This record gives sequence, structure tokens and C-alpha cells, in this order.
Amino acid sequence: MNHRRSTLLAICIVFVTSLFVPQVTQAQVALPEVQLNNIRQNCIAAQTTLNQLHSSDALLRVNQGSMYLDISTKLMARLNSRIALDRLGGVNLAAITVDYERRLDAFRSSYKEYEESMSSRTLKVDCVERPVEFYENVAASREKRKRLHEDTRALTALLHAYKAEFENFAKDFEGGE
Amino acid sequence: MNEENRIAEAPRLRDWRQHKFMLLVGLTIFVSLVLVVISLQLYNSSGAAQLDLSRPGYKDVRDKANHSGEFAGFPASGPIDKEALDEFRKLYDEKLEEATEIDSFGGDVLSDRALGIGTSTGE
Repeated sequence: MNHRRSTLLAICIVFVTSLFVPQVTQAQVALPEVQLNNIRQNCIAAQTTLNQLHSSDALLRVNQGSMYLDISTKLMARLNSRIALDRLGGVNLAAITVDYERRLDAFRSSYKEYEESMSSRTLKVDCVERPVEFYENVAASREKRKRLHEDTRALTALLHAYKAEFENFAKDFEGGE
Repeated sequence: MNEENRIAEAPRLRDWRQHKFMLLVGLTIFVSLVLVVISLQLYNSSGAAQLDLSRPGYKDVRDKANHSGEFAGFPASGPIDKEALDEFRKLYDEKLEEATEIDSFGGDVLSDRALGIGTSTGE
């Protein structure tokens, strides 16, 4: 019984300890010495910029997300449902709305990944002690931000597409009256 | 259970019953901790953490958040006629302009040059 308890306790200690062991990332990129010195010298300025960017991106996400959601729920959805209730068709409008919703979900996921990349990795690395890891994390965050930007451009394109389709619908409707 | 077994069982039960209250307190704390862990996990995984401007690092930008509750939107009911379409057009154009006036998350703010972490001494 005592032996079993000791074994169980040892397993629990090992498990709990493993949760707190920092994950050491093996750096893959070999940077020239000049660049390493640049990173170390500009470390504080770079981290300040990244922190400011992190805050401003959060605000942008909240405001932009709120606008996208308003357009989806308080404009598109309502118009689509009224058109459907009056049996006026509007199939293309509904199709664009579905694409828009999918892209909005992708935008939310992209932002979540980007923000996690920034807050959990990039902003936590000491760029004086670990400049290569810092550089790699910035590169990773840059790629995620690029993907996020592509999502916002796709959303903009869909918003314009919805507008164009709405004008077609309005023209057909008014022409038929 | 016969009488002898009951008598043998009694001391064990007495010991357990003496600690009933502590057991209750311990169990309550444990259940609370489990629920807190689950809540935090949901908070992070759902994406709410990324939108929460009440977090310490977002103090400077907190006041600048828009309040989406102020926008009433297009009415959810009513016939589709020319007035309704004009109303929708007006609301949609306003929101479209707001949503697209800036190139969100664009630019090269994370470039080597912008952060001064490139190879050139000028960057």
C-alpha cells in the first residue's frame, strides 16, 4: 500500500513539474553577427513598438469586429429575411452572406492565432538573451498578421459584392413595380 | 449486516463522521478550483481573452472602443418597398464606408526595418 502510494505520488510530482518546465525552442535560423547585434541594441525599442502594436491591434480588432458583426446581423440578415418573407428571391444575396459569415469566422480565428503568437511568444522572449528566438517569433507573427490582413481584404471584397448584388436586386425590384 | 459487523464498523464510521465538515469544505474548494480551471480554459479557447480590453495591457486603448449597441440597424420586419430599400442603402453605405476606410492590419509594422532588427545598420 505504501509502495503504491509512493509510486502514485512520484507520478503526480513528475506530471505537475513537467507542466512548469519552460519549453525551450531550438532556433533554426542562423543569423549573422551584425543582425544579432542590431537585435540586441534595438531590443527595448522593438519591444516597446510591439507592445504598442499589440494594444492598437486589440482595439482595431474590437472596433472592426464590431462593425463586421453589425453589418452581418443588423443589415444583411435582416434584409435577407425580409426579402425571403416577401418571397422576392434574393438567393444571391443570401449566398454572399454565407460566404461573408465564413470569412468572418476565419477572421476571428486568424486574429486569435496572431494575438496568441504575439502575447504568448513574441512579447515574452528576452531579445537580448535570445535574439534568434525573438527574430523567429517576430517572423511568425508577421506571417499571421499577413493572413489576418488577407481576411480583412476578403471581407471588404464581400461587402462590396453584397452592395453590388443589392443594387441589382433593387433595380430588378423597382423595374418590376 | 449482523450485530458483530456493525460493532466492528462503528469506530471507522465514527472517525469518518468526525471529519465530515472538513471533508465538505475540502470538496467544495476542489470543485471550485475545477470550475475555475474550466472557465479559464473556455475564456482562452473561445477567443474572449483576445477581445477583453479590461486586461492590464490594454489600459490606454480601453476608452476608444466603439459601442456597437448604439447602432439600431435595418428594421427586422416590414414590407420590401422603395422606402425600405432606400433606407437599407443609406445604412449599408454608412457602415461600408466605416468598415473599409482603413486598411486594417496592413502595412509593414512588423518588418525588420520597422523594428530595427534587420541586417543593415541603417535598419
